[in-house]
Amino acid sequence: MRKAFVAVACFALLAVAAFGQGVIKLGANWPLADVSGLECSKAAQLAVDEINKAGGVLGKQLQLVVVDDEGKGDKGVAAIEKLVTVDKVDVLLGGIASGVAVAQVPTLKKYQMVTVATGAAASASVEKALGPSPGSDWYFHLHPWDYDQGQSYYEGWDAIQKKYPNVVIRRIFLAYEEGAFGKSSFDASKALFGSRYTFDGASFKSALQGGSDYSSVLEAAKDFNPDLFIWAGYAQDALPLLEQSKAMKFSPPIYLGAPPAWPVDMGKSPLAEDIMLYGMWAPSINDISPASRKFYDAYVAATGSAPTSYFAALSYSAVYIIADAVKRAGGTDAARLIPALEKTRYVSPLGQTITFTPSNIIKHQGIKNQKILQWQDGRQEVIWPFEVQSRALVYPLPPWK
Amino acid sequence: MRIVVTRPRVGPGRMWQVVLWTALAAAGTAAVLLWKPTALVYGVQRAGLYAAVAIPMALVLGIVHIVNLAHGELMMVAAYLAYFAARLLGLDPFVALVPVALVMAVLGLALYQVTIRHSLKAPELNQLILTFGLGIALSQMVNLLFTSQSWKLSLDYVSASATVGNISFGVFDFVYAGAAIALALGLRLFLTRTRLGKAALAVGQNPRGAAIVGIDVGRTYAFVFALAVGLIGAVGSIFLAKQAIFPLVGGPYTMKSFCLVAMAGVGNIVGILYCSLALGLSESIINSIRGYAGWSNVVFFAIIIVTILVRSFRERKA
Repeated sequence: MRKAFVAVACFALLAVAAFGQGVIKLGANWPLADVSGLECSKAAQLAVDEINKAGGVLGKQLQLVVVDDEGKGDKGVAAIEKLVTVDKVDVLLGGIASGVAVAQVPTLKKYQMVTVATGAAASASVEKALGPSPGSDWYFHLHPWDYDQGQSYYEGWDAIQKKYPNVVIRRIFLAYEEGAFGKSSFDASKALFGSRYTFDGASFKSALQGGSDYSSVLEAAKDFNPDLFIWAGYAQDALPLLEQSKAMKFSPPIYLGAPPAWPVDMGKSPLAEDIMLYGMWAPSINDISPASRKFYDAYVAATGSAPTSYFAALSYSAVYIIADAVKRAGGTDAARLIPALEKTRYVSPLGQTITFTPSNIIKHQGIKNQKILQWQDGRQEVIWPFEVQSRALVYPLPPWK
Repeated sequence: MRIVVTRPRVGPGRMWQVVLWTALAAAGTAAVLLWKPTALVYGVQRAGLYAAVAIPMALVLGIVHIVNLAHGELMMVAAYLAYFAARLLGLDPFVALVPVALVMAVLGLALYQVTIRHSLKAPELNQLILTFGLGIALSQMVNLLFTSQSWKLSLDYVSASATVGNISFGVFDFVYAGAAIALALGLRLFLTRTRLGKAALAVGQNPRGAAIVGIDVGRTYAFVFALAVGLIGAVGSIFLAKQAIFPLVGGPYTMKSFCLVAMAGVGNIVGILYCSLALGLSESIINSIRGYAGWSNVVFFAIIIVTILVRSFRERKA
């Protein structure tokens, strides 16, 4: 009886091992209680399902293992430990918050597993922690760093003013939430724009932190009389800021929001009309990018709702980039996978082809630019880069109705 | 502990103090009006919001004698209910106010019967942990159901404004001040003019004595708790009209309400109006000074700490 039990157990173990050999495991971490993190997980799973349906990679099926990092550093570290030591994944991907990413770096360095990061923009912390090549060559960063974003905005506004001669920007005011995100946005913007433009700003307490009154910062902005008004805060601030701006009759020629995400149904609000924003993807790109259309239609069919931010498209891209590189490398061995990833040329749903080139510190940086968009008729339309422009700029912001 | 509902008597010897404080307040108001009139406007609006949220907490603390650390989360739940009423039934938040308040009162009653009632004789720390846990459970439940994404109604009237000279300012937020005054006056009338209110007052002042004279203390506690949750539900519905809602929106308001209640003195509902005014104005004034907006929280809590310390010294002296 005992011999029979041992034989069955051995058979079961072998069967599991054999099955495991037919699977390429991708390990991801995102904050699943956050809507962006949840969308990342869904988008990545969609990509995995599509690839598996098409036959998998090298005859093997992809398997996605997602661990919730809860947006916290310690949970992010625990996620990596679990994915590597318990789930024994072959490649890591994911992440949104810089705070989580910087906490994970020492653990990632310990394992040096190939990682395709979908988040983290704070270069002063995350990129610095990663360090230069060759120590960080296993790390492939898809999301633009903060300085990349700033530089692209600088180029974008320059290009917009050249294309639209009636758009004249001399004075820029940045209203920023008083936390780390807002302050770093202000510092980076001041460094970038301060030399060419007259630049000023003031902080406000975000609704995310219990604030609800933007009057002081809007009064300061009104006194400054900017040509371009930017606010850097969170989704919770978007409509209240606009409502208060309307009440105070503050309508600068360009009113731009730069939150990580927008509230649900933002486009349905009449106040959103002609407001500009920074972003990386919008459904309007479907009109000009077949890859975006394919992703969007598949995502809506699979989940029943549209993505609310660019993170979904980014995570979807990450899976396809990894799958393509594994195919070309012939496996997941880092020594072959890293050179294969370096040769990536992926036509992404973000309206651009993703390649990896050096950034300020690390060797493998993917996307280096953002887009400048504008809410028009309830939809985010791309204004710049002009290669993916979906509609013409509406300028100046019309008076509040 | 007692609910204070009568006007404090001012003896002749202290009249000069009242005159002095009034004169100082008038001078301060005039100075702010000359320097930054909108600081006064927004300060009053902000004070109204704080007071409207804090008053139901004061009611619970003054009569049931527990600090409800789930207070802000209950407001959040009410705001979500009002949001669904708006989206699914087309009800404006002000129209949804009464049904939301009723639903929240029922929820409050259920919470009381299931949890609060069993902790009334427990140490205060246990009660704090219980209500804190309730708050966490509520916010996490909403987070699981609806994720962290913020929702916001787009209502035209919240952008209503007035223009005085060359200064335009929003006027909608005066609704909060109106709600706070209505709550304070309404509760005062209820507690002093109705049989049930007088019974609640008696229970708050001396539960044992109230029981001896035949008042059902348990039922009174249940009613007051449900009433307070209903009132915060009404405030939550109004809150939705202007604010974006998300699972953690209530937390900061729990803290501020608790601080205001501590500053005003336990059960001092009318005192909350004055304290909210002081804090709202100070916050607004600090915010109006360029580069010092980050200090508004520091000033807020510094004023609270000073007030509590002064009161402690006075009580010790007495």
